[in-house]
This record gives sequence, structure tokens and C-alpha cells, in this order.
Amino acid sequence: MSHQLSIAIAGAGLLGRLLAWRLLKLGHRVRLFDDGDFQHSRSAAHTAAAMISPLSEVVVSERSIYDMGVRSLGIWPGWIEELNVPGRPAVHYAAPGSVVVAHPADMAELEQFYSDLNFHLGADNNARWLDRRDLQAIEPDIADQFDRALYLPDEAYLDNRHLLDRLLEEIRALGGECVAHQPIDFSPDAKMGGQTLSGFDCIFDCRGVGARQSEKNLRGVRGEVLWVQTDEVQLHHPVRLMHPRYKLYIVPKPGNRFIIGATEIESQDRSPVSVQSMLELCSALYTLNPAFAEARILELDANLRPSYWHNLPMIEQKWVHPQFNNGEMQNIVRINGLYRHGYLLAPTVVEDVLARLTEFTQTH
Amino acid sequence: MSNTNIQSADTLTLYGESFSSRLLLGTALYSSPQAMLESIQSSRCEIVTLGLRRQNPKDRDGAQIWDAIKSTGCRLLPNTAGCKTVKEAVNLAEMSREIFSTSWIKLEVIGDDYNLQPDPFGLVEAAEELIKRGFKVLPYCTDDLVLCQKLLKVGCEVLMPWGSPIGTGQGLLNKYNLRTLRERLPNIPLIVDAGIGAPSQACEAMEMGFDAVLLNTAVAKAQQPALMAQAFGNAIDAGRAAYIAGLMQKRQTASPSTPVIGQPFWHQRRHDKQDQQ
Repeated sequence: MSHQLSIAIAGAGLLGRLLAWRLLKLGHRVRLFDDGDFQHSRSAAHTAAAMISPLSEVVVSERSIYDMGVRSLGIWPGWIEELNVPGRPAVHYAAPGSVVVAHPADMAELEQFYSDLNFHLGADNNARWLDRRDLQAIEPDIADQFDRALYLPDEAYLDNRHLLDRLLEEIRALGGECVAHQPIDFSPDAKMGGQTLSGFDCIFDCRGVGARQSEKNLRGVRGEVLWVQTDEVQLHHPVRLMHPRYKLYIVPKPGNRFIIGATEIESQDRSPVSVQSMLELCSALYTLNPAFAEARILELDANLRPSYWHNLPMIEQKWVHPQFNNGEMQNIVRINGLYRHGYLLAPTVVEDVLARLTEFTQTH
Repeated sequence: MSNTNIQSADTLTLYGESFSSRLLLGTALYSSPQAMLESIQSSRCEIVTLGLRRQNPKDRDGAQIWDAIKSTGCRLLPNTAGCKTVKEAVNLAEMSREIFSTSWIKLEVIGDDYNLQPDPFGLVEAAEELIKRGFKVLPYCTDDLVLCQKLLKVGCEVLMPWGSPIGTGQGLLNKYNLRTLRERLPNIPLIVDAGIGAPSQACEAMEMGFDAVLLNTAVAKAQQPALMAQAFGNAIDAGRAAYIAGLMQKRQTASPSTPVIGQPFWHQRRHDKQDQQ
């Protein structure tokens, strides 16, 4: 460590926490701010199903998302290993691949999915067709309902809420300072309670949807999820259900829990889950295996995905000269727009940011 | 008047407003708002539909995306997609009128949840109510002649019969019914709405004399939406030009397009021989 930097991070969602943790590991000083509570996070990362699924996501985006996702698949296992130290409960991470299904009447949806994979990935499309017998072998509890399925190798998922808690513990253990209920205002210089932030080599703006006031091109895209618990059904992979009207997924979580998501509505609405969405989420679940009918509903959650118009992430640097700051410039780096791809993209984005740290902390 | 002038003078008139494009594009299902805006631009459409049923319109929570759609300069045609009862549709139409300051409404009353087939009875009732309230109603209906007549009777000036159910891409499933509508309602603007999957199908609808085509999924879900939007724009232009130009009648027998006089006679003989076989 040649030079210890002093870094401020606004926003303690997934990106803010990962960045703080990696900077601390590199020996830098970090102060992490959030306008809410660290334990009861309102961030999109808390609501997400936390799949790392480059194949599934390329179908609804573009090749660059796949490439970044594949890089993240390479980064996550090492990071999880660093976090899973003896004496602490291990954060669940698994990369069994995922399964995509459609009911026989909706087979065109599955064919379209496969054709979209081919369009975006060409020879890199390693999805495989499964017949009922293959499905029986890898995901027996849903095999009765489906004649055909697609298997997407290597796709992963993790226990995000545990991860977020574990990251916070690590940040604190490494000497990071966590400041809750403290919004940082970027207008355009970074201020805390009306006072210009000073003494930092760089200020990272990782506020997600929280940055909407100061960024006109940023919007929230509403997503709704349902958590259930049952021991009657076992799933070993995240399962995606293709339907003409909605594309939903079910991801197994530790403790016989499942998360079903997610609606996608172009709205800034953070009010509770609607009945219509609940019907869709429950129908998807029920059609996978009728035994889900007796599952218990644990939680309903609605949140906003921070998104730019192209639904791609952006890292933007700017130098701001605050009016009252003894002539000191602020290095501000804005990282946002991970949309529905938080866990898929965050490690890659964080590594890209760290690789440019010298550039981001230059004095002017 | 030259041929280009004939086409440039050929406008689509709906409720007294004229449009040079005969494509109406939906704004749902795109991979990003940017892909949607690019598609609108490359399609050269002048009317876009938008649905606000699930966006919490009361609190204007979809305002950001609505503003982006407005910025295209296209005429907005709010819809009542997702409404299953007359009351829901009327309420949403009222909210849309307030939000977008337009009395135009694409009226959908859905009768079947799986294929989103219109409920003809609810549709007529909702249309009548909305027209009383001063709306300009463009109803999404089936290709049933009597239903269309009833919609006209309650005051609709434009009809939007389906080609096939929403999102299926099956094209014009019942051409007999569609042709009947065109022949029986020669002076009513008829827009084929829903079920169009390929530019050739849109072109066919235009060749049959329909006034315009409304579509969404076929563009939004294409692997390159903006390119597909352009393809549809071109197909609709081609179909309209063909309709104006007048399609030839299909004939049972071959009729040579070059004069046969001067052709060596043994050609004729060979044909005769084949006929005998």
C-alpha cells in the first residue's frame, strides 16, 4: 500500500457495501453514508432475488450485460470465500445453473428465448434442451408439469440479505465508518446537512434510486416479489417460467424459503404489492407445482430498480468546485443504473472502479 | 398529379385529425425506453399508444416515462389495457384524459384473461358511456360485423378490429370477416389492431384497404426493434400504395405478360402437349 486514500461513499446498497469492503481490504479509509438504516435496508439489493444469470439476462438486454455477468461469475466465488471465515455463518452461494420452463401451450415462448440467446451469443450460447426425463433427473419436483425445458449452465444465486449483513460486519471489522440516517446531497457538490464534504480523495455516489432528484435521466422501475416457505417442494436451481404475459422466476433460498419475482412496471410507485401482481406471482408458483398452494406467505416486497434510459450501468466522473471549500475540488464518481442486474454486474463494476482509482483520486 | 403527389396527399384522418403515417405503435415490452424511442423514430409513426393501468396513475408515478414518450412529438393515444369491466375502463379513461389532456382513448375491455380477447358486450357499453362523456373512442374489437355496427351506432367514428389475439403474431386469421368489414363499412376508418407478427401481414392488411395498422409486440420483442419498426413502416407504405394503385385480379389461367406474336410456334405446341398429359 503506497498511499492510503480517504474515501466517502454515499449509499449503502450492494454497490456501496461492496466498494467500501474492497477499498478497506486495499488499506484505504472509508466512510459509508446512508440516508436510512443499515440493518433494515430499503435498497433494491435487499428486495432482489440475487441471481447471477448472464444467459437469462442477455435475452432482455444486450451482449455487454452478458460479458460483464460472466466476469462477475468469476469474481463472486473468491469474494464469498473471503467472507465465509470460520466462526461466522457462511453466506450461501451456489452455481448449479438454472432451468427455464414453459407450459406446453406456451412452447413458442421457450423457442423464442432460445432463438434470442442464439442471436445475442452465437457460438457462446451453451444452453441445452431438456426433455421430461432430463428434467426429472435434475429438478424432479417440477418435472410432471413440463415436456421440455432449457438448462443454462453455470448460472448462480446467493443469499443476498445475509450477504448484505455480512458485508456490513466486515466493513466495520476493517475499520470502516458507517453513518446511518445521513443523506448526502449532490447539488452538484457533495453536502452533508448543508455542509460541503471535505477531506476526501474521492466521493462515490452509489445512491441508486436515491439519486433521482439530482439526475433527470435516472428512473425507478418497479418490481414486486413474494417470499414463501414450504418443505413440500424442493428446488435445486433457480427456475424461470416463460409465459406470454409475464416472465417470472422462483429462486430457492436457505430454510425452505423461495422468492418469486418479479414484476416490471415503468413506475416510481413504491406502494405495497398490488393484487394483480400477487395473482401473477402466485399463479406462476402454483403452476410449477400445485404443492406450493400450501406454502406460507412470508413477505411481499416492492421496490424500484435504478435505471437509465438504456437500462445499462454507468460510471461517471466529475470534478466539482464547491463555493465554500477553501479552493478544494471534490472528485465525485457516480455509479448507478444497475437496473435489474445488481448482483450480476456489481463485482465487475466494482473491479472496474478500483482499476481506475488513481484516475478518480487525482488532485486538480 | 405525379405518383409521389398522390401518395403525399393520401392522409389518414381520424376524428378530424390528419396523419401521413398509417402505422400506430405501442410503447410496452421494449428492453429499454431507449429501444422504444429509437423504434418510434425509425417507424416514422405519428401516433403511439400507452397504457397506465399498472403505473399507479393517481399519483402520476409513471410521469417520467410518459414525458419521454411525449417528447417524440407523436400524438398520444392512451389505452385502457388491463381493464376487465366497464367501470374500470371508464375510470382509467377519465384519468388518462386528465393526465394527457386528450379525449382520445383506445378502448379495451378484456373478456378473457388468457388470450386478452375483447368483451364485445362490455365494449359497446363502455364506448357509449365514454362518448356521452365527450371522449373520442377508438375501440379494440373483434372482426364481427354486428359488433362493429353497434359500436358505430353508439358514436364511434373509428374501429380497430383485431387481426388475431394480442401478442400472437398470427396475422389476419379471418380474412373473410375482415373483407366483409371493409366492404360493408367503406367510409369508416378501420385500423387492424393486434395479432400482426410480420411486415408481410401488415402489408396484406393495407392491400385489403384497411386504413392503418396498430402493433406492438412484433416490434418490441424483435431482436433489433428499431430495424423491425422500419421494416413495418416500409411494409405499410407498400401495402397502402398497392391498394391505391389497384391490385390486379387473380386469374385461373396463365396470361403472358409479353405478346405471344412472333414467338416460335413450337413453344405453343409444347404447352398443348403438356396439357394433354
